[in-house]
Amino acid sequence: MTGPEPEPDWVIRFLDDLRAAEAASAEVLAAWIDVCALDGLRGGLRVIAEREATHAELLAERLGEMGVAPSALLAEPVRSAALERFGSGRVSDEQKLASLLARYPDDASATRPITQILDRLPHDPETREILRLVAEGEAATIAWLRAYHAALARAAPASRV
Amino acid sequence: MLRPPPLGSERARVIGLLDAFQAAERAGAEAVGRWIVACADARLRGGLRMIRARDRRHAALAEARLRSLGGVPGAQPSRELAALCGVVADPGVSDRSKLTLLIGHLPADENAPLGELVHRAEGDAETQALLQTIFDDERATVRWLRGMHDALEREGT
Repeated sequence: MTGPEPEPDWVIRFLDDLRAAEAASAEVLAAWIDVCALDGLRGGLRVIAEREATHAELLAERLGEMGVAPSALLAEPVRSAALERFGSGRVSDEQKLASLLARYPDDASATRPITQILDRLPHDPETREILRLVAEGEAATIAWLRAYHAALARAAPASRV
Repeated sequence: MLRPPPLGSERARVIGLLDAFQAAERAGAEAVGRWIVACADARLRGGLRMIRARDRRHAALAEARLRSLGGVPGAQPSRELAALCGVVADPGVSDRSKLTLLIGHLPADENAPLGELVHRAEGDAETQALLQTIFDDERATVRWLRGMHDALEREGT
């Protein structure tokens, strides 16, 4: 009896890079939560940080099942710069929201890199469904942050919570 | 203006709803974990793994919040939820039957009852946003379960 076909290298690389990005994102969000001055935003960020950590954990598990030890790391200068900016109490929450959302002109831009490869994984439905739900999580994150940012912009400073 | 955390009976009410929620999420995660072990459909298994991981983290988030408000978790899932979890965890029940059962228990209005929970947390902005964002995950779970149920029905598996 033969075992399942090994995953192509590009799949392994994609999953490992995505895992590293999600883990770094969870770390940066945790730093933001520590200095976040807005109760409502902090509540949302807590869930979003856990969502990113969940994605990283599941992707690491899946790589392990493929016999691969996760090894990708976000470039250190990128990670340090993000931690410094989002973990800073001198940069306002509104500025942080604006700079994060500027990277995603529309909700699909956050999920496109993932959804583009779903059709290329007919041989691995388990990984495909995990990625499909990771993409949904990313879309929900951007939609929530965008809604919060818009509400913040509309609100008078005195009534912000 | 930053609002202070809720006080007195309002705080007790928020702690109570967080406690009930964390108990339900924990029970759900455990049942889904048992389902995964018995599940032979790779698509279903992939999604269930995400759902279990989400539910575990939701439970942990709700527990952390209730503790930060001075509460101690102690709630148990309702008898009805425990019975539902028992079926979901049972390896002798087919995947299709489990999905049908779960879909049957979902409210027609996808905003209820978690929307009601979010509403009841009014006055505590952090808890309310926490639940609102968790609610987004729950909606994604429901959508995925419905999609998988429809797929299995079409395939007749």
